[in-house]
Amino acid sequence: MRLLRLGGRRAWSAAGLVGAGVAVATTLLAVALGALHGLDARESRTGWRTPAAASPEETPMALLRARTDQVAGRALEQIDLVDPRPDAAPPPGLPRMPLVGELWVSPALADLLRTLPAGELADRYPTATPAGVLGEAGLTRPDELVAVVGRPAGDPVLTAPGPSDVVPVGSFDRTEADTTVAGIYRQLTYVAVALMVVPIASLLGASARLTAARRVERLATLRLLGASTRQVTVTAVAEVTAVATVAAVVGVAAQWLLAPALAHISIAGGGWFAADLRPSPLVSVAIVAGVAVLATGAAIGGLRQVVVSPLGVARRQQPQHARLIRLLGLVGGLAVFWIAIVASQGGPAAVAGLIFGVGVLALFGSVSLIGPLIVRVLGRSMTGRARSVPALLAGRRLLDDPKGAFRPLAGLTLAVFVAGFLAPLTTVIAGEVGADDGVLVLQAPAAQADRVAAAASARLATLGVAARIGPVTAAGGPGGTAETGVSAETGVSAETGVSAETGTTAASGPASPGNPGNPDGSGARGTEDIVAVPVLPENPADRDRVRTALAPLTPGSLVLTRAEADDEEIVLVEDLRRGTLVVLVATFLIAATATGTAAAARVLDHRRPLRLLRLAGTPLAMLDRARWAETVLPLLVLGGVALALGLLCASPFASAVLVFSPSGLGLLGGVLVAGVALVAATSAASRPLLRSVTAGPGRED
Amino acid sequence: MTVEAMAEPPPARADEPPVLVGRGVTKRFGATTVLAAADLVVHRGEAVAVTGPSGSGKSTLLHCLAGILAPDAGEVRLTGERIDGWSEARRTALRRERLGFVFQFGQLLPELPAVENVALPLMLGGVSRREAVGRAAQWFAPLGLTGLEQRRPGQLSGGQEQRVAIARALVTGPDVVFADEPTGALDSETGLRTIELLTGLAARTRAGLVVVTHDAEVAARCHRTVVIRDGRTIAGVRA
Ligand SMILES: Nc1ncnc2c1ncn2[C@@H]1O[C@H](COP(=O)(O)OP(=O)(O)OP(=O)(O)O)[C@@H](O)[C@H]1O
Ligand SMILES: [Mg+2]
Repeated sequence: MRLLRLGGRRAWSAAGLVGAGVAVATTLLAVALGALHGLDARESRTGWRTPAAASPEETPMALLRARTDQVAGRALEQIDLVDPRPDAAPPPGLPRMPLVGELWVSPALADLLRTLPAGELADRYPTATPAGVLGEAGLTRPDELVAVVGRPAGDPVLTAPGPSDVVPVGSFDRTEADTTVAGIYRQLTYVAVALMVVPIASLLGASARLTAARRVERLATLRLLGASTRQVTVTAVAEVTAVATVAAVVGVAAQWLLAPALAHISIAGGGWFAADLRPSPLVSVAIVAGVAVLATGAAIGGLRQVVVSPLGVARRQQPQHARLIRLLGLVGGLAVFWIAIVASQGGPAAVAGLIFGVGVLALFGSVSLIGPLIVRVLGRSMTGRARSVPALLAGRRLLDDPKGAFRPLAGLTLAVFVAGFLAPLTTVIAGEVGADDGVLVLQAPAAQADRVAAAASARLATLGVAARIGPVTAAGGPGGTAETGVSAETGVSAETGVSAETGTTAASGPASPGNPGNPDGSGARGTEDIVAVPVLPENPADRDRVRTALAPLTPGSLVLTRAEADDEEIVLVEDLRRGTLVVLVATFLIAATATGTAAAARVLDHRRPLRLLRLAGTPLAMLDRARWAETVLPLLVLGGVALALGLLCASPFASAVLVFSPSGLGLLGGVLVAGVALVAATSAASRPLLRSVTAGPGRED
Repeated sequence: MTVEAMAEPPPARADEPPVLVGRGVTKRFGATTVLAAADLVVHRGEAVAVTGPSGSGKSTLLHCLAGILAPDAGEVRLTGERIDGWSEARRTALRRERLGFVFQFGQLLPELPAVENVALPLMLGGVSRREAVGRAAQWFAPLGLTGLEQRRPGQLSGGQEQRVAIARALVTGPDVVFADEPTGALDSETGLRTIELLTGLAARTRAGLVVVTHDAEVAARCHRTVVIRDGRTIAGVRA
């Protein structure tokens, strides 16, 4: 700090640059950790919907079935409590147990009940007037749609076909929820955090290096005045630590302030309570402490590279070589990654993310091994064939310190790899899930199918809703109804496998259907053949009216399209895509900051030879082009290699056609191009610095 | 300082026009006048030392003569051509193509091997890399640097680094070489050996040489010494 004061305005602006970089990085880290906190909070708010099962000998407080209905194009969580004990402890957000026949709704659903016609929503429930509104403690987000319905013992809800289980509730207190989807989100977030920590560390390193570069002259003066290397180091490191700590506090505060905006980012079906996205005070303190420690370590490392002689000459030791033996590391890392991916495919969904995380970690190792090697090979080939001065300077620089040139790009390389890996995969999954064809499916026992179909058309006729009711065939052949258009339409649904199925209707869904070990009530499910009666409203806007009107025909079950029934999986795919993009954008931001900082540090490091070269008549543009080449070329090459490797690793899981489908890669390509432009721009941003430190014959700072 | 110490006779020929002429060179920084009509004439093959107390304006004069700074008044001629009014871009090209520079220290790019540091001005002038490196390598033997071609600046001693810098200054065959305290960071014995190499090679290539120094022994290795006092040049010893 005393040095800062000594340094005047220039030292402050350098500290500002370092501080800004660290603050940005800390904000991103806090966002990632905040997301984890948010997931935790969501789980504790909604754990009651997947309650602990009562042991066989105790009487359950209620039988609970949680399903996802749809209204107005939004997911609607429907929780049925069958035969609730009125005196039992209620779930969070409810003042008391709902009574039979009662409807409790979330505030957003209460609004919908007021605004939508009863025929589109309210008629689905035993009563149109809610008994009360659910408190925030029981909701994932402010606008979540939730309905809690109290039902009498033996209600058909218990036996209706569908993917979810009936749970005899022992207690709504649930500290750890084990829903598979929540687990996947948590593990993906861990991966995202890991993906960001590495670039943040490299950014801190670059910042420390910048500070050290700024200090070389001043430290040399201190050395001349008789200060020992140790004192000099301690002073400089203390400065970096102080700046980084202040910046980390600013970063955490920024995340805190940004939380309401971040709360709009939709993950797992919707936004967040802003407060849930703010890491706890303890975690916040840990973030600040962690960043300070990282910065201190990076500063010590950065200063050790600069041997400060009293004459102020920063001498570098031998050029650092990246050895070919690193290739073995790459092979090993890729192998582990591969095994992990294959294992996570076959294994249970709950650990798939974890195994995937292990695979990504293995990649960390191999990427950081192979990165400098690639930079070195690139440097060698550039140096070898350089005809112009900029190419020679850039090539020599890469060859001279491949690790240093790679460091700011490490995190980005990894993120591009993961993005390249995930992009085709999400396309594949999205392809499997399919688009919403608008065909609502009534699930009826095979024996009653014809009766249900007839009742449905009668009912819709009374309502005056035009709809085509498809054939109730066991096989997917063309239907026998008079309207030819219907058979065509239902042919589509038949192809997708909807039209005739047994109890395992949603076999492709994330949760396994018809739990055979279910102790209560669902014995009928899974044994009786259930067939699908497809209903296609002529006017898509009638969808909610049709499903509300037809629901009583198959008591207890929900009327959904196939895509709506797969809602959770579709949302997960969307989130994967969104998450990949968010992480990619974040790592590009960090990489841009790190490259910009590193470029500035290099200019300052070499300001004396650069200035003297300019005095001797070297045009500024020449030096600038060299800087451009040494930043952008490794970025392009590393990014290209990472992308190719990512696509290669994904290729066994995705056919080449899908890999190159425009939807899968269009956005990814856009982000990559924008990111490269951003990194290039930040490295160009040090041009004024280059101009100013090399300008005129004046003494340097 | 002894005149006898000079090994070579002054090679300057009176019948040949001077390569560098500064006349009435004036430079002000704000209110302070650093140079008040300073004069300097340098012939081909001639080494001129510029001395004077610290802060007297030695470096400023060198910068004005070399087209780094534009003087406020007076004229600077290189091989008879006035260069003081030229644009910055033209003066940059002039420095690159027709002048050579040796500074006190730290002028070599640390990532480049010594020979490429020397080849740099040739490549900037459009010479192919192969030829530039070949021509650069020829300067290593006369400067006693044989075998150090592939070393990086960080792996050279201070004296070796200065000799590489001398090679870089001379490699393009400049009309004039400017050296600002070229021995300032060296011990006196190394400094003297270095200045002898510089003057000797400049004379052999028939380049004019301006050496700014406050070391009397270094100045004695030059053919002529000019002292700056109160912003004016006073002719010193003429060898
Ligand atoms: N860019 C500038 N702005 C203002 N004053 C300057 C500038 N450059 C030099 N001076 C002033 O001009 C005077 C001469 O400076 P110069 O560097 O030429 O001295 P010098 O003789 O080379 O000194 P030394 O032997 O210490 O190198 C000094 O008083 C210096 O403060
Ligand atoms: Mg000077």
